[in-house]
Amino acid sequence: MTDAIEARGLGKRYGRKWAVRDCSFRLPAGRICGLVGPNGAGKSTLLGMATRLVQPTAGTLRLFGTPVSEPAVLAKSSFLAQDKPLFTRFTVAETLRMGQELNPGWDQALAERIVRAGNLSLDARIGTLSGGQRTRVAFALAFGKRPELLLLDEPMADLDPLARHEMAGLLMAEAAEQGTTVVMSSHMLNELETMCDYLVVVAGGRVRLAGEVDALLPAHSLVTGARSAEGVPPELARHTVIESHTTGRQFTALIRPEGRVGEDWRLSTPTMEEVLLGYLRTPDAPPLLTPSARVAEEGQSEGQREGLGRGEGAAA
Amino acid sequence: MSATAQAEQRTAPAERRPRVLRGLPWLVWRQHRTAFWIGIAMAVVGSAVMIYQRAGLTDLLHHAAQPGKEGADQAFRTHYDPFFQDASDFLQSLPALIGVFLGAPLVAADRERGTARLVTTQSTGRNRWIATKLGMAAAVTLVCTVALAAAFTWLWEPAHLLLFGGDWLGAGVFDITGPMPVAFSLLMLVTGVAIGMLLRRVVTAMAVTLVAGFAAQVAWDYVRPMLATPRVLTYPYGDDHGIDQLPQGAVQVDNWISTADGKLYGFGTCVNDAHPDACRAKLGIVNNYVEYFGYDQMRGMQWLGAGILLALAAAITVFVLWWVRRRPM
Repeated sequence: MTDAIEARGLGKRYGRKWAVRDCSFRLPAGRICGLVGPNGAGKSTLLGMATRLVQPTAGTLRLFGTPVSEPAVLAKSSFLAQDKPLFTRFTVAETLRMGQELNPGWDQALAERIVRAGNLSLDARIGTLSGGQRTRVAFALAFGKRPELLLLDEPMADLDPLARHEMAGLLMAEAAEQGTTVVMSSHMLNELETMCDYLVVVAGGRVRLAGEVDALLPAHSLVTGARSAEGVPPELARHTVIESHTTGRQFTALIRPEGRVGEDWRLSTPTMEEVLLGYLRTPDAPPLLTPSARVAEEGQSEGQREGLGRGEGAAA
Repeated sequence: MSATAQAEQRTAPAERRPRVLRGLPWLVWRQHRTAFWIGIAMAVVGSAVMIYQRAGLTDLLHHAAQPGKEGADQAFRTHYDPFFQDASDFLQSLPALIGVFLGAPLVAADRERGTARLVTTQSTGRNRWIATKLGMAAAVTLVCTVALAAAFTWLWEPAHLLLFGGDWLGAGVFDITGPMPVAFSLLMLVTGVAIGMLLRRVVTAMAVTLVAGFAAQVAWDYVRPMLATPRVLTYPYGDDHGIDQLPQGAVQVDNWISTADGKLYGFGTCVNDAHPDACRAKLGIVNNYVEYFGYDQMRGMQWLGAGILLALAAAITVFVLWWVRRRPM
């Protein structure tokens, strides 16, 4: 099966600063993927490159096999920007007509069904709608395109809890029904926990964690025990320690166990929130990509190495 | 078959009127229809008024030429000067109006409100988006300004010796007749678009475009007299009627006094001397030397000027297309 997203040595430089660097990962089709990272980690730049809003400086990015350098890739995905821009003077009907006029695969019945499910009048002007209602229209526009991939930048950030709950339900139901692969960037870790079955964590412009939630969480352990000395105890240091801290006499660490952990330590499987917090606190933790998220070695381009294949070299 | 009919019925409320425009042109028209309609209405009303005025004007010129009537000059001044003044003010400001109200917001509004990201991530892409926007705005500008310029030129031509004392170069007639309003408007349109594209803020872009319009006007005042080589009339110094040899409709651009072998002196030379005649005799000044543009040169100068402005507009258009293609939205 083709991957929904395949990035190889992907990089974007603004002036001298790399917003995204050496990014290589895959996202299998049909997943609901959370894109997580601190502010400025490169999430928006990644989404921008997938939607042709931003041109990659290095490497390649393919959506369902089509490189983003080809304009045809636009028909494969829908993008919902953070501020959900719509024409405020258009009516709902005109907004949907825009979708129809600009997208060959437009599904008017689907878009209208999503709008009507929110008891919205087609004649209402966008400017008179509430935040939740506007988001619903934006979702209708996004799904009406019948995308294979839906890219959402902080979709729920500006919604009240009721609207957030409603939109999350709408998103999950429609994505399941249409078989849409979803990538959503978000800061709301509990929200991701209920919605996502795949994770990509970026920090400092690089991928730190990518793979199925089911595989990533068991790969980590939360260890607690009595503190014996300063720093990480030697018997834990042979594992990959993502993050550790000491509270009073108790030592806690998030680790990727390599083999057995000593008897003195209490072990538990961390929640997604605990894993994500661990990686967000430690941006330079060693990356972990599950096999489905890893790209094949042979294709890894110059962009992977320190010199960086600037521009086209990697695209070939 | 019946399923299709049902589907059509269901979507019927969304599309009451037949679809004339489709795809991106529909979107661009819908988004900017207020500006487009205002432009078209101004062109229709303006052209109609000028066409209506033309009948009265030719009538007046015809009657005024008859013996025993007040001269054409006097009649024109009383009855038509205010109208021509207004029409001239309107046409002079037209390029700036188009640049500020149509050009500047064209892309700036989409960038300011984020709708550029919305539209350019639909299946059509950004190259066709910017091309359609520029193309439709330019088409509306072209149609409106051609109508207004043609109507005004047609109205003005019979009275070209009378309006502003026949001065077609300095008093603004040059810029508001023939191809000039069209070329200037298109240049200001794309200038506004480029400024809006770079600044991303509608109000700022409008203000900067207005300033750019003034700057272009000032620069243009220097370029205009360079669009052709002036012709020369010489006649003996002190001949009060020598200037009458200037062809009808000609515009003087410079006055000199000269020696028999063509050496030029400033017009005021020797005027303040204690003995002006002796002073002139000493320098050998014998002629008046007048540089002028003939009325028959006007059209050529206008087309050359319009060509220069359109070439500039084309260069800015290429820049806009290149920028939109390359830069992040």
